Amino acid sequence: MESLDTKQINLFDYHHIFQNEVLLSYKGPFDSIVLSVLAKYIELLVEKDANASRKMFKIFIELAQNISSYSSEVRPSDGAKIGQLAIGETPDHYSLVTGNLISNSDVVPVIEKCEIINSLDRDALRKYKVEQRNLATSMEHSHIGLIQVALTASQPIDLEVVHIDDEFSFFTVSVKVNK
Amino acid sequence: MENIVIKGAHDVFFIPNVNFDYTACKCELGGESYLEETTKFYTPLLNWLDQYFNEVSMPLTFDFSLTYFNTSSSGAILNILNKLKSFIKSGLSITINWYYDSDDLDMKEEIEDYIYSTDLQINLIPKS
Repeated sequence: MESLDTKQINLFDYHHIFQNEVLLSYKGPFDSIVLSVLAKYIELLVEKDANASRKMFKIFIELAQNISSYSSEVRPSDGAKIGQLAIGETPDHYSLVTGNLISNSDVVPVIEKCEIINSLDRDALRKYKVEQRNLATSMEHSHIGLIQVALTASQPIDLEVVHIDDEFSFFTVSVKVNK
Repeated sequence: MENIVIKGAHDVFFIPNVNFDYTACKCELGGESYLEETTKFYTPLLNWLDQYFNEVSMPLTFDFSLTYFNTSSSGAILNILNKLKSFIKSGLSITINWYYDSDDLDMKEEIEDYIYSTDLQINLIPKS
């Protein structure tokens, strides 16, 4: 494992990314304890708006659980899945962005799923959720997380995929919730 | 058979309130559902329903009042509803009520989607 050499890290690289008001940014393990702390903090951040708070919390749980289950970046010491999170705020909406490494073999299925999700109006998306949930064979993974995220946000999901090497890509999901 | 009573908790994970009472012919599932192991939590509840159907088989009332569930729990809840549906098809009388916060339109849609999915009659009861 590479050691953390502080001389090689310049957080200014991140500084310009967050021009809007950043309420929170995080990179690290997405284990259950971290999720619970972040979820609690998100609820507090948006506390003044009960509807937005509920939505941000729901979206966070689904995207964070996706990272917990599927991130290809793993902390060697305990196997915890690594991911990134940023929460932002503008005058008219909140934004929630997550990022993580994924296998290249998962890229096309996820992009296709997002294209379907973003192409459907709300009624069709609800029907799609019901169909996909009926297909689920296990209670642990219903595979409707992204669909539910889009329904909760009432907005399209923005997906960015950056090819890294033959094995992995970096996967960013951005969602907005109106105030 | 025995009743199942689980006191809900809002901790690292969220455990729903469960009160499955065969003497009162009533099931209650409320609070928040976001679990470490969804299958492990819901399987005993599904087994209880089978036992109720086989051993008690009196008209049953099932009251949902969940305020939050993640998508993993949403699959488990569908399994409960599908089981209730199969009992109704076999002749058991079951009343299903779902109490929800009248401000929470997303939850109302979730319940409507279960109705669409299962074709069950679920009474939507808004609470202010």
